[in-house]
Parts: sequence; C-alpha cells; structure tokens
Amino acid sequence: MTARRLDRGGRIDRSKPLSFHWDGKALQGYAGDTLASALMANGERVLGRSFKYHRPRGIMSAGVEESGAIVTVGSGARAEPNVKATMQELFQGLEAQGQNAWPNVRFDAGAVNGLFGRFFSAGFYYKTFMGLPPFEWGQGTGLWMKYEALIRKAAGMGAASREADPDCYDHVHAYCDVLVVGAGPAGLRAALTAAEVGRDVILAEQDFELGGDLLNDPSAEPDRLALIEAVGRAGVRVMPRTTVFGLYDNGTAGMVERVADHLAEPAPYLPRQRFWTVRAGATVLAAGALERSIAFGGNDRPGVMTAAAGRAYLNRFGVLPGQRVVVATCNDSAYRTAGELAAAGAEVVLADARQRTSLDVPSGVRLRGGLAPLEAKGRSGVKSVQFARRTESGWQAAGSEYCDLLLVSGGWSPVVNLASHRGVKPEWNAELACFLGGDCAEPLFMAGAAAGIWDRGACEASGEAAAKRAMGIEAAGPAPGGWGAPIAPLYEVRLSGSKPKAFVDPQHDVTGEDVRLAHQEGFVSVEHLKRYTTLGMATDQGKMGNVVGLALMAEALGKEIPAVGTTRFRPPYTPVAIGALAGRNVHGHFKALRRTPLHDWNLRHGATMTDAGLWHRPWYFAKDGETIAEAYVREAATVRETLGICDVSSLGKIAVQGPDAAEFLNRVYTNGFAKLAVGKARYGIMLRDDGMVMDDGTTWRLAEDDFLMTTTTTGAGKVMVWLEELLQTRWPELRVHLTSVSDQWAGVSIAGPKSRKALAACLADPAAVSAQALPFMGVARTQLQDGTEALIARISFSGELAYELYVPAGHGEAMMNQLWGETSRLGGCLYGLEALGTLRIEKGHVTGAELDGRVTILDAGLGKMASAKKPYIGKVLQDRPELQRADRPQLAGIFPKDRSQTFNGGALLCRPDEGEGFGEGWVTAVTHSPALGHWIGLGYVAGGHEAWTGRTLMASDPVRGGPVEVEVVSPHMFDPEGERMHG
Amino acid sequence: MDDQINTLQAQLAPGRGGKPGPAGVTLSLLTGFRLTQIAAWPETLAEAGALASAAAGCGAAPGPGRVEQGTGGMLLRAEPLKWWLLQRAGQTHAPVQGSRACAVLDLSSARTLVRVSGPQAGKLLNHFLPLDLRPSAFPAGCATSTAFHHVGVTLWRTNAGFTLALPSSFAASLRELLEGSALQYGLKTRETPFIPAEGELE
Repeated sequence: MTARRLDRGGRIDRSKPLSFHWDGKALQGYAGDTLASALMANGERVLGRSFKYHRPRGIMSAGVEESGAIVTVGSGARAEPNVKATMQELFQGLEAQGQNAWPNVRFDAGAVNGLFGRFFSAGFYYKTFMGLPPFEWGQGTGLWMKYEALIRKAAGMGAASREADPDCYDHVHAYCDVLVVGAGPAGLRAALTAAEVGRDVILAEQDFELGGDLLNDPSAEPDRLALIEAVGRAGVRVMPRTTVFGLYDNGTAGMVERVADHLAEPAPYLPRQRFWTVRAGATVLAAGALERSIAFGGNDRPGVMTAAAGRAYLNRFGVLPGQRVVVATCNDSAYRTAGELAAAGAEVVLADARQRTSLDVPSGVRLRGGLAPLEAKGRSGVKSVQFARRTESGWQAAGSEYCDLLLVSGGWSPVVNLASHRGVKPEWNAELACFLGGDCAEPLFMAGAAAGIWDRGACEASGEAAAKRAMGIEAAGPAPGGWGAPIAPLYEVRLSGSKPKAFVDPQHDVTGEDVRLAHQEGFVSVEHLKRYTTLGMATDQGKMGNVVGLALMAEALGKEIPAVGTTRFRPPYTPVAIGALAGRNVHGHFKALRRTPLHDWNLRHGATMTDAGLWHRPWYFAKDGETIAEAYVREAATVRETLGICDVSSLGKIAVQGPDAAEFLNRVYTNGFAKLAVGKARYGIMLRDDGMVMDDGTTWRLAEDDFLMTTTTTGAGKVMVWLEELLQTRWPELRVHLTSVSDQWAGVSIAGPKSRKALAACLADPAAVSAQALPFMGVARTQLQDGTEALIARISFSGELAYELYVPAGHGEAMMNQLWGETSRLGGCLYGLEALGTLRIEKGHVTGAELDGRVTILDAGLGKMASAKKPYIGKVLQDRPELQRADRPQLAGIFPKDRSQTFNGGALLCRPDEGEGFGEGWVTAVTHSPALGHWIGLGYVAGGHEAWTGRTLMASDPVRGGPVEVEVVSPHMFDPEGERMHG
Repeated sequence: MDDQINTLQAQLAPGRGGKPGPAGVTLSLLTGFRLTQIAAWPETLAEAGALASAAAGCGAAPGPGRVEQGTGGMLLRAEPLKWWLLQRAGQTHAPVQGSRACAVLDLSSARTLVRVSGPQAGKLLNHFLPLDLRPSAFPAGCATSTAFHHVGVTLWRTNAGFTLALPSSFAASLRELLEGSALQYGLKTRETPFIPAEGELE
C-alpha cells in the first residue's frame, strides 16, 4: 500500500496542519483527519500486532469495526489503550503508539508466535487447563500455574495506565420525544421529520461530522449541508461525537459523548466525556451498515481493507490509499469505489465474484468477472493477490494481480446491534445476504442502511417513515435492497484441502479453520462456537466477523445460516471508559460526605477527622507534637478531672410528633415510655422483630405530643426507615408524624465535674442547669446568653456529670464559641471520638461495636430494660429459648493479666489450652484507660463476666500478634455506682 | 433566632468561574428564611391546609407536587400530609401555632436552599437528577422529592429558576458536585436573601 495525500479533495482542512507523534516519530496531518487517515497519508502501514499470533496489521476499515489499527493514545496517566485509530480524531500534539508488540509493531519479537500457530488453534487456552501434553497426561494441571502467566503476557492488547485517571467525567440525564441514532441521510431525515412537527428530538452521531455516508460523497455535499441546516432550524438537539452504546428498558439509551478527546488542550472546566442516560418516547435506529470482509488467505495483511474504507479515505480524507488497487467484490457497492479510485489516478482491477452483471464498468477500471481473492501475498504489506474461480467442485486458482492495496466487499451487515439489546431477534434476508432487525414490540424503528436499504434516496424516505411511525403515524417505508444486480453471497475462498490463515475475526485471531475445528470438537451451537473460539468477543463484538463465522458454521453443519441462528448483541456497542461509568462519584465524592454544623469550627480548632458512616467527626485534637495516643489519653483524663466538650451533632435525631407519639414509642422501645414526663429524657433500646438489639439512644419528651428521639450516628437512617415502616404497615391508626431533624440541630456534649459551671455561664439563666432545676435525665428549654434558643438534657455517655446542649444548626458555631471560652477558662478541653470511646469503655456503655446485630438485650447486659409489663417490637422472639441460654456470650470487661500489656480489638477470647476454634468470646473494643492506668477492653464472653471470675483467658489474635493473658471483669470498670454521673 | 449562619456561606463565595462569557448557571445561596413544616392528619388535611395557606397568604394549599406563592410566604406540598411553609426569617406564622389539626416543626436549619438559575440550569440539574425538567414536564409551580447522589432532596421551580432544598449536612458535598459540573457552562455564584414572591430575584 503506497498511499499518498492528494493535493485536493476530501474534507480535511489543508490550511490547518496538525503535528502529531506515532511511536515517537513526528508526523503531520490536517484538521478533519482521523489518526488512521493521517497515518495512512504518511505512509505508515503496520499499525498494530494481532492478539494471538502477533501478525502485522494495518488499517482495515474507516470506522468502529476496525480490527487492525488498534493503538494506544496518550501517555502517562492519560494513556488509553485499544483505541481504534479510525475513530480517533486528530489533534495538535496527539501522541500514539503501537501496542501488544516489542520492541515495536514493525519489528515485533512476539511474531515468533506465528511459527507455532498450529498449536494456538481454537480452544488453545482452555485446553491448557487440562495439562501440558504429553508431560501431564492424566495428571492434572500443575504446570498450568507456571505457563499461564506466559500465555497471558504473550497475548493480549494494550496495557492500561497504572496511574489514577486525572480526568473528570460527567453523568447527565436527558429526556426527549424521539431519539435518532445516526446522522446519515436516514437519521437526518428522521430527526427533521419529527422536529418539524414539534417533537423534541435528540440526534446522536458517533462521528465528529454529520452525514454518515454522505461524507464520502463529494457530490452530496450541498444536500448534506441543507439537511443539517434544516435540522438545526427545527430545533433538533444534535450530539456529535456521541455513541449510543446500549438500549435498555422503557426507551432508555446509554450514550457516551466524547467532549475533550479531540482537543489538544481541553479547558480545565470541561469533562473528558459525558455519560448520558436518555429516556426517549421512541427511538429511530439509523446507525447504518458495516461492510464485511471475506475469509481468504492473508486477508489480514496490511493493505487489505474494506472497499468502503478505501472510498472514505479517498473522498473524505483526501488520501489515495494505493496506486495499484484490486477491488474484490460480490455485490454492486464496490463499483462506485473502483471508479472513483480510478478517477483519482489509481490503476484499478475490479474482481467481481459474479460471472457477469448488467452493471456498467466504471471508466478506467479493468473488470475481471467470476474471480474472488484466494490469497493476499506479502509480508508487512500486500504485494499481490491470487484469485480463485468457483467451480462445481469448489474453488480453483485463477491467476493473480500485483497490487499494493486490496479492497474487499463481502456484502453489508446492517447495524442491528442496538435492536438486539432489546431482544429483537435478527432475521436473515437471503436476498441481501444479511441480518435485518426483526419485529419489535417497543417503539423502536429501523431506518436507512440499518434496515437493509442501500439507495440514498430510499434511505431518506425510510428515515421519514420511521420518524412518522415513532410519532404514532402510519407510514410505509421503502423495502430493503437497492442494488441493480443481486449479491452473490461470499464468505470464504479456499482451495479444497488447504488451511490458509484466513481470518474470520481478525481482532481475536479467529480463522475459518478455528470454526471448523470447533465444529469437529462438537461445538455446534452458535453460542458455544462463540465462547470456544472467542469469535465476536473482541472489542468490536463481532462487527467484522460474526456473519462470516456463522456462514462457515452453517456450511460445516450442512445447514442454512438462519438455521444456525445468531448470537445476541449486548451492550456496549463500543467500549465505554470505566471513568465514564464512575462519573464524578470518585475520590471524596464516592459517597456524599456529611458535615456537622461544627465541622469547620472543629477543623479551625485542630481536629483530626475520622469517618463515622457518611459523617466526618473529630477523632482527636492533638496539641503540638502529640500523637493520637497521647492526645486521646489527655482528653479523656481532662474530662474526668475538669471537663471537655465534644461535637455530637451527628447523632441521629428524629422528631416524633402527634397525640399517639408516646404510645408509638412505648411499642418501639423495650422499656416504658408512655409515662415519661414532659421535660424528661429516657434511655431506650429498640429491638428488631427477631429479638436482636437494633439501636439505642435517649428520647426527650418536649411536650405531651412532641418527642425528640436520638439514635446512634450510623443507625439513624435505618431507624428512621424502620419506624416509618411500622407506622405505615402495622400501626396506620396511630397519629404520629416522624421527621428527621438530624440536620436541624447542632449538638455538643459537655462532660466533667465542671461541666455545670461552664454551661451555666453560657446561659441567659444560669440556674436552669442547677442540680434542682435539671436533675439527671432532665430536659430543659432555655436560651443562651445571646438569646439563642436551646435544648439541654442532663444525660451522660462518659459517666461524668454531663449535658447535651442543642441549638439550631445555624447557631452552632456561636454556641461553640461561647462554650469553648468557658471551657478553656476552666481548664477543660475539646475531645474527639477516640477519647469518647475511652470514656464509654471505662463505663461499659455499648455502641455499634457491641450492638452488631447478633446481640440480645440480655447479652448486652441491659436485661433490666426489657419490660415484662407491656408488649414491644421483638419481645416474642426475644424470649426464644436459644436467646435465653445462660451460656450465651454476654458483655464483659477485659483487663490484661499483666497490666503493662495490651491486646487487640477483634481478638478471640480462648481458654489457655484452646488456641484454635471460635473461642469463648471476642473483644469488641480496646483502649488505654487513664482512669485505671492500664489497657482495658470490652467484649463478649460465654456466660458473662461472672462465669469467668478468677479464671484466665487468652486474647488470641494470630494475624496481628501473639496471645495475651487476660482476665474478665464487670463491664462497668469505672465508677460502677454512677456516683460521678449523678453528682 | 433568625440570624443563622449557613455553613455554605463560607464556601459558596460570590464569584464567577469556568467557561468564559455569559454565565450559563447561577448558583444562589438563599439566606434569611424560615422553614416550617406543617403536618396534617388524614382527617384534618383540609383544615390544616387552610391554616397553611392562610399563613402563606395564598389562595389554597397546593396539592402534591405543587408549590404556591403567597403574599406571606411560599407553600410547598412536601409529602402527602405535609406542607413546607417558607417565609422570610422573622415572619411569624401564628395561624398554625397551637392548632390540633397539625403538627408544626421548625426545619429552618435542617435545609440549605440553593437556587439554580440561568439558561443551563435544567441541564446542570440533570447531571444529578433523573427527572424530566423540560418546561413542558416540570413548569414553574412544580415541586418534587428526588435523590441527588443518593441523598434525598426537594426541588421546586418558580419563574426565578429551580430551588434545591438540601439537607444541611450534605449541602457542602453536594455543592462541590454542582459547582464542579457547572463550570463547563460558565458559573456565577452569589448569596441572596430569600424572597418568597417569584421572579423577584432575577
């Protein structure tokens, strides 16, 4: 193939040269080029290496079906492998390189694979699972583990970058009345027809220019421009560079819009791609048709491509793809290509497999009737083609022609892929030798070449008819067809007994022999054929080879093609970048982050944050040079000695309102709430239906019919959903409204002996928190000094005299400023989750670590809260004998026998002589207790702590460290009588 | 109680960014509002609706999926039995206080209001919301609850544009997403006081 750029013609802009690099070599193309056309114009022939045999490959098409020119574009973090050069728009500074080759695609050491080609036949990889013959006959697959890596390394495609994707991607939803897929003559006409009568139309085109096949026909340019202008005037939303990759339920289409892939320096605010979810009332598929190749020897050599591609490079890109051209065809479509190449100066031989037709032979073209290509000769490029003639007994060699370009047309395959996504079964049309979309129960209408219509005028008419049907208007479109002479179906050319490398699926190196081998080995179903040979499983999804493969299987089975069936196409039509699927839901936005109203305040005051569900909460407030361990021990000790304040805004908060609110809570919680007085709070446990503990928290009675329920931070959503379900499905008669008010309130815990003093100083009425006015578990509505309304409850998670103070979130920072001023003046501190954990572990208070869904209220040591006087959710199943067993694991405190030692959360508690198995219990939480002066833990142990008094257990953690001797104590390890809390 | 500080006020600094030229999207943080939830019981729906509409100064309480502009506030049907009354901060809603026909709840701090306006406002919202926001399907006066990056949000449309009521704890995270995507259309950000009557902001 000695291609050259023509001085004129084509759609490229010769006034806008573009520099780019191919395998490190500086080259030049023009605006309007694809990477493939620019490489062709620069005389580059070998652009890739094949998947398995590492055969040299060149450009084989001009579109999405490309199986040869598959390259890596970009470098570093932006290196994208397996890009079809035929679809990559050229831009200034583009860098591309070959892949699956070493040292490069022109001289590839991996080509040695070709010498062993006969061993790499269909099912080769699967056969290696059975052992390497003869060494492993009957012995299994020991060696496979060793050579599997070699096989993987030798075969394959490009390598993805190991770096994080630096680009961003957007997700977008859109709605329209009619979605038109493809902007060829049929698609443009369909879009115009629907838009002109007021329909909201989206027209998606994968190319960067509109027109489809009109782009390859200079004489059609005025008509193309007129259609595009009319489409714009009619208000069609035109989306070039957008591939509809899948159709889904209820008119939903998945589309990828390439926003910046063609830009040399994209603006920083642009996403690289947009992932569209379009919901359309009706869809018109005008995605065109793809030209098929023919299986013959060497049909993958650089310089062999489809006839339509040759025409595209000539007419659209201004490249004469060869000087001595053989056009091999079995249908009419290649005649025009042959004539145009001849007119451009090429020496053209047209080999028509049909013996004779009534078609006029284009001027300057030498016709050789009745011949088909038998073998393309040459190493890294075609140099000649040997012909064969069909006889009654098969094919016979029939001379040859020297050439530098062999264009092949084995017929056309309408793009029915998207219809297939919707379960539409393609139907074989023997007259046109192609599959057409079958009946569809959905508002999905085929038009143009996608409907098997070859004539341009008829394509437009079919687009108009499809649009009308999409709008519910009866309309009959033209019948499929449009050639002057019938096609002579042609799928493979080979001499009897010969086994040339004739590729059916060049991208996966599947040959005609592979198809026959699969048949011989019993894979007669087309679905099995596909999987055994991997035919149609490459990135082109069989666009090039499926029909030829089916035809060969049909021949092997002695059946007709329709009797063999066809595989179902599945999304995506073309590959979709993982980044496009992820969109902006990456890094910090993988999940939405919840910030408390005091988030910024905490950060300004030195907080190190940690995740708590979706929330970020202060973990600890380290002073200069402090480690986390030093910080939390200091914070916990300060709380015990003076006071500390801690952001607890993330606690779940639910407003429970209504005349039946008390009754509702009484049914939900295990303990009684019906008689809770206004101005009082109560700690409550709620169970699941199965009797296991679901969540806990305090609920405050603000008025007769108004409660504020608090939940754990991470359990809030679950509890809210559960309570709503109860109201809506079990107790719809209760007049109760639930509203999440988690975000309404900023909450802070003030804990420590001096907490009352600090809090009182911040209030308009300091006496509001006196011991008499606000006893333990009391709730008060009051005001801060600045007049901010506040709720105060005297409750304690730390075991100290403590309060929770809530103000509307918008006043949170102002509240903290007041409170922190008083706290620091009294020698107090800010404390985070780590110190909070220490304080609650010392007291034996449970959290999510202990309430893990496997725990009953008895297990958690809270049996006294299970009322015997009233029913409540979970009561019946809680009383199951299995859940009442005395030897169930129960909450316990854990001390290391040697107080200088520590142990790990998650460790199993085992008897000293039983280091394996499930043990007697497990450790849920560990901390260093400043109050006790050593490490302590909480956990569950069979029978509870009383069963293990005076006995030793081992905290066994074989993964992270050796066993540690521990003793089991009461979970109430500090101030068990609660004197400090009530003080 | 009406001088609340929204955490977005520090983050949504007034400015202009992204694509040059006229801004395709304006994100306005609405401040100075009071949001009151009025929840009726099935048998008191009409009575509570009358109270709510009286408080808002509109003719009738809106039905599901609708928002009404009144002289005293904006009234939105947030759930089958619940209205949201949006007023300027400082306004009172005496008619609904103390009534046994409904439960009243202050949610002023629980939501952050972001108005999304400009020629590309609908398109920007469709980056995150799977809703048909074309004027024919979601004209001014429509309201809905939907999910924004898996977070439940409320959206309504007036002549001034779309308004998103975001749970305040998620507001900063969702704002980052909105701004990131809005830059490609040209983004203007600002802070503006809430005014219930439609059209006054633009």
